[in-house]
Amino acid sequence: MSHHLFILSPSDTPVYSLTHHSTKPVATAPSPLAANLPTWSTSAFAGTLTALSGASGATQHTSSGPVRIGGGQDRHVIQMIANASLDVIEDIMRKENAMYLRSVDKFNEWTVSAFVTPGNVKFILLHEGKNDDGIRAFFMEVWEAFVKTQLNPFYSGQGVIRSSVFDGRVRTSAKKHL
Amino acid sequence: MPNPLSTGHLHLSFQTHPPSSSHYPLALLRPSHFPLAVIGIASSSQTNTLNSIYSQFNSALLDIFPASNLFPLARNCFVFEENDNATNLNGGDNLPGTVVIPSMMGNKKLYIGTLLADLCSQILGEFGVVIQALESPLGNEYLNASLLATLPPLSELPVPLDLDKKSSLASLPSFSSQPEVSKTTFSLAPTPPLKRNSSSGPNYRQSTLGVQPPKKRASTVGTASSHARLYKMLGDFFLLAGRTEDANIWYTEALQLFKNSQDHAWHASALEGLVTIAVVEAWSAGHGLHNSSSATKEPWSDIIDKLTQATSLYQKSPLYYEGETNYAILAYLYSCCILRHSSLLFAVWSAKGWGPLAFTTMLQPGPTAHLPPTLAHDEADQWLNLERLTKFSGISRSSISTVLGQIHGPWMLHLHPRERLSILETMASIYACLGYKRKEAYILREVLGCIMDLMVCGREEDGITKVSGSQTAGLGIQNGASTPTGSSVALNQGGVGIRMSESSSGNESVLRLLKHVCKILGIDLDAVKLVDTSDQETGGKQSEKSETAGALDDVSVLEHFESYGWPELQVGVIREAVAVAEALPDFPAVAQFSLSSLKNLQAVLSPGDQHHLYSTSIRALMTARRRGDLRSIEYWSGKPIVSITLAPIPLIRLPVEKHMSVLSKQTSGLPPILQGITDPFLYNPRRATTKKDREVVAQNETLDFVVMLQNPFVFDLELQSLSLSASGVEFNSQPSRVVVPANSFHQVVLSGKALNTGILTVRGCVVQAPGGISQEFLLPLRTDEEEERLARKKSSIACEIGRFKYSGLESFPWERSKKPIKYQSSQMNPRKSFRFLECKVVPEQPLLRVRRTSVNHGALMLYEGERSTLRITLENISPLPIDFIHLAFEDSTIEPAQQALMDGDLSVFETYETEHSLINEPVFTWNKDEARPIQPGQTLTLSISCLGKAGCTSGTVHVSYSYAHRTDLEETSDYFYTRQISYPIMVTVYPMLQCHNMDLIPFPSYHDHIRGAENATRRYHLDIDDGSSWCLFSVDVRNTYGSPFEVAFEREYIGAPQSSAITTIPPGSTSRLILPLKRMSLSEKETSEPIPTLSDRQFVVAKDKLSGAELQLQRELFWYREALFRCVRGRWKEAGGIRTGGISLRQQRMTLPMLEALRQDFARVDLFLCPSGQEDGEDNEGPNRPLRPNQFLELKVKVTNLSSTSLPLSLTIDLEPSDCLVYEGTLVDIPIGRLDEGVTREMTIPICFLTDGQFEIMAHLRPVGLLYVDTKPARVQITTSVRS
Repeated sequence: MSHHLFILSPSDTPVYSLTHHSTKPVATAPSPLAANLPTWSTSAFAGTLTALSGASGATQHTSSGPVRIGGGQDRHVIQMIANASLDVIEDIMRKENAMYLRSVDKFNEWTVSAFVTPGNVKFILLHEGKNDDGIRAFFMEVWEAFVKTQLNPFYSGQGVIRSSVFDGRVRTSAKKHL
Repeated sequence: MPNPLSTGHLHLSFQTHPPSSSHYPLALLRPSHFPLAVIGIASSSQTNTLNSIYSQFNSALLDIFPASNLFPLARNCFVFEENDNATNLNGGDNLPGTVVIPSMMGNKKLYIGTLLADLCSQILGEFGVVIQALESPLGNEYLNASLLATLPPLSELPVPLDLDKKSSLASLPSFSSQPEVSKTTFSLAPTPPLKRNSSSGPNYRQSTLGVQPPKKRASTVGTASSHARLYKMLGDFFLLAGRTEDANIWYTEALQLFKNSQDHAWHASALEGLVTIAVVEAWSAGHGLHNSSSATKEPWSDIIDKLTQATSLYQKSPLYYEGETNYAILAYLYSCCILRHSSLLFAVWSAKGWGPLAFTTMLQPGPTAHLPPTLAHDEADQWLNLERLTKFSGISRSSISTVLGQIHGPWMLHLHPRERLSILETMASIYACLGYKRKEAYILREVLGCIMDLMVCGREEDGITKVSGSQTAGLGIQNGASTPTGSSVALNQGGVGIRMSESSSGNESVLRLLKHVCKILGIDLDAVKLVDTSDQETGGKQSEKSETAGALDDVSVLEHFESYGWPELQVGVIREAVAVAEALPDFPAVAQFSLSSLKNLQAVLSPGDQHHLYSTSIRALMTARRRGDLRSIEYWSGKPIVSITLAPIPLIRLPVEKHMSVLSKQTSGLPPILQGITDPFLYNPRRATTKKDREVVAQNETLDFVVMLQNPFVFDLELQSLSLSASGVEFNSQPSRVVVPANSFHQVVLSGKALNTGILTVRGCVVQAPGGISQEFLLPLRTDEEEERLARKKSSIACEIGRFKYSGLESFPWERSKKPIKYQSSQMNPRKSFRFLECKVVPEQPLLRVRRTSVNHGALMLYEGERSTLRITLENISPLPIDFIHLAFEDSTIEPAQQALMDGDLSVFETYETEHSLINEPVFTWNKDEARPIQPGQTLTLSISCLGKAGCTSGTVHVSYSYAHRTDLEETSDYFYTRQISYPIMVTVYPMLQCHNMDLIPFPSYHDHIRGAENATRRYHLDIDDGSSWCLFSVDVRNTYGSPFEVAFEREYIGAPQSSAITTIPPGSTSRLILPLKRMSLSEKETSEPIPTLSDRQFVVAKDKLSGAELQLQRELFWYREALFRCVRGRWKEAGGIRTGGISLRQQRMTLPMLEALRQDFARVDLFLCPSGQEDGEDNEGPNRPLRPNQFLELKVKVTNLSSTSLPLSLTIDLEPSDCLVYEGTLVDIPIGRLDEGVTREMTIPICFLTDGQFEIMAHLRPVGLLYVDTKPARVQITTSVRS
């Protein structure tokens, strides 16, 4: 089961991203409709379609069982999904006061959870299973690390976070909670 | 019989496409999916007979719907007559389903309405037939045979009941009275009367309405399979027939049976049918107005439950059903179910709740099915408006999105392309209406993928283009640069790609879709505009005008990379967009996309991508041009021009503007050499502003403009043409082709000629990229005002950086510009008027050059103080005459001296010395009278005299010339223009004679009587008469050079004979030269003059405060020194050579003793000793005659006032040794009395020497009672020897 974390600045620019593979097995069973997909086209554009519909991840899923290597999912598609989920996040965060927005969106096999800081920085996590408490704890820890990073007077607030300390902390808490 | 023209509703839906053949298995599961009837429309003329029309119609129908298909149930062909003669249309009765409409018939609308009603009744009749077939055991077996059961053609089924087809068909004509097809009239009749007569197919069924389902069931007793599917079919047909109550009953029956079976798909389908019934009933039952108020539960929650159930049933539906797989169909059904669900929610949401509007949206979707009226206005996508809908309807947008999102999944790949396309389109439009733009973009990308895939595959099937079938599992954009797509690959591989269909219709829509997607992701693909070159001539001018205000803001200055959007996604989408445009192919669009992204995303694109995009664009533009595409690309790479400056004109060509009055007013009082420092004001504010910012250039001469270009990209940027954009006077310049190296600034020189006189304004540059159209970039001058404005703008932008005023999609620049920040707007306004680089073009000017000079290698070697002459020959090499020549000189000594003067640290005395040296001892001088006009091609030789001045190392001769009094121009001007050539000369001055120790000493005052004879000789040699009125000038001259020099000091003194001291000084030795000088006296008026300044400088208060006496002394020193230098001249001559020169004494100091020695005393005292009673006339012999002791002598004292005023004087006489002589009277303070100027008085003192020996007689004369007692007394001393 893999998780994808994106930290987006208010202008939707990613300042940090992380792909985490946990050892837990995927809980949900795929729909029977998603099986046995045809390879039906020869043009390159079909590849786009296949990837965007989430089929490339699914085919691999069925062929190689639960053991999935991260490359099986198209990174671009993951990003597209994260980006598309911003619509819902923006919608919901205006109506709700909570920083942690649990499972705001579902797309393909992904569930999207988000965390919006008071500075309108959004943490977006794409995950497959249900792990509500773990994700909440994970978000809180990431937030703490993020605030500490932002305290750095040399950090512009808009640039990509390159701090290895931050990276290490996020990875540690991902290991712990996800 | 009902009222033939009663009103009501008949919902007909016209399909644009026939269902694809892959959907035929759905025929029984979803009859509503298929067209129930087909209407053919034909126009008949005389040539084609009705028969042929009929056969044509039938064959076309067979083409679309194979004979094995159940549908369409009814068919009809309307043949419209073209003209009046209906001779051949009389056979219509023989052809079933063909109706001829004569052209002369009026009220066709009514008639056609009737015909449609006829058709509908035919359909209803056919329903009965189908059900009849299904009810038979065989039919039921067919129905339950597989998951997606199909029914063979009805003709193959046995006729199950006694009711035959013919009877039902026979009954049809009775229903020929049909309602008008109405879509807009709402009838609020309590029961739907029209639905009733539509049920008039099989008559027996009307009687069994609602009460006889068991009987119905009984009629099929004996069949092996369950009747669930049959009941469901009944429900379907009743629903289609509009009998909702019946349908409801049958559906409920079916659901009872389905509950226990595993027939998920049919179960779900029945649920969907129930849902449809619910909506239709809500619509018909007073449009839901009454129950919207009193519902604790939302009225649609029941429907939603059913739909959710159906969805999950579809998902659970087994894929394998007795050996056949039905992925495509099931995925389609599943998607349709979710779409039904979400569009229900969407309709309710968009209609502000469960009401008539919602039903209208659902039941009568217009041409814009997914743009409900509540969202059709401009500001619909604003959050507030969308939220208002949520508030009214109670359905949140995210819930709709969640439902809709369920469609999306890998199973979409099972769908057939066209279905997938339509489902995706629907999804995208719902997302768009919800305001979920990013999700819309996601789906639209898939839509694009679908379309492009179909297009490309369609071409492949033609067998024309061969696409390398490398199917990638990923997006394809991951491969970036090397993604081979579409026909462009075939082109690249050398083969000639031929497209069968040249139609490019639709391409534009695909591109619009692309642009929309990119815009949502933060890329403006229209950043570089496509311009139609055919109307470039007119359009270009206008665009220039409009561009003036905004685009002039220096982008490069203000530009700060502000990231927005998701860079990785943007790059990916760009690659895809370019690939799509290439595959269409639309080459201008390819170029536009790649260049737009280069322009916008330059900061995030990797070098490889930049290279790829650039080369793609170049290639595409070339292809587009080859194919004769009229569109072209505007200039794209930001602002390439950084600066334009006029390269400095070579000095010899630089015209200098002068006013005509300069010529007439020849010499101002001031020597020009001091002009640099003669500003009467220490601080002159005008001096700075007099700098001209307008260069003066000559007509018809080449001007060089230095243009600085920038290229922020990683590839070499090629500019097809770069030319100056000049206005004002006619300017002739050739555009040039430039390649700007990657990532650098590049300097280019553009030259041209101004053809007329006037003001030449260089507005900027016209730049054209290869294949694009040219664009003008204006470059205003950076005036202070402009600078300030830019700085303000910059700082306000810097202030905004790092803060997020807008987030998400609103942070994109084009969104932000809609909501400008209000404050500071006045300062941020771009200025309307700009100043540009301007040159003043003046008439053609003559040109002079130095033909030759007498100086070898441009070097001049002089001894210090030497004077020599050099000659310069000038040649006029222009076709214009020169009538004005002026020479000015410059040498290396001038500047330090001027600098010292400017600094003002010098004392008055030093200032005078410096100025004197500048003015009176210039290195170069010339004779103005030598200047003569030079005709074209003529030469003129000028001689310049040079002076060896210590410290001079170089010099320059500036020749200013002009054609001042022009005759070749019409209008006369107050100004003329000079040009200047400079001839630099290296000067070496050898200092060879050094003067030092200048001294002035008084003459020895006593005669040595022993050597009295020498006295005469001395007088003779020195040519002096008397010691007391002379002094001795002496100076040491040292020869530091390697050869001997003959040095002479001359005395030129008015009232004294000329005299000189000459000596030859060998190398390395020092000689003292002595010259007697007559002591001089300057009047008090002369000496009290302040030390003059040679320039008109502003008076500067002396820094050192001197008392009045000191000041007087300083002035005396100065004026006597000047007087000394006037009368003593030193000169040298090369021993054995011809070179001569002067020696300057100005380095020498003059001390107070020297002054005393030089200055004449105020009075003269002469002492004579003579025996008593002798006459004056023998005085001259007096000293020679020996005096005897004890002889009475007379000491005669003669006092003469030499000063210019009358003075009271007193005299004191000292006699030594005083005890050896006697005298009469007093010797101390003998009053002489007041003596007028030049008056002499004599007095006599008798004395007697008592012994032999030498006696000294001294007399001091001093003025009495004057304030300045420090005046040195005049004194005289004589020595007398007394011998017995």
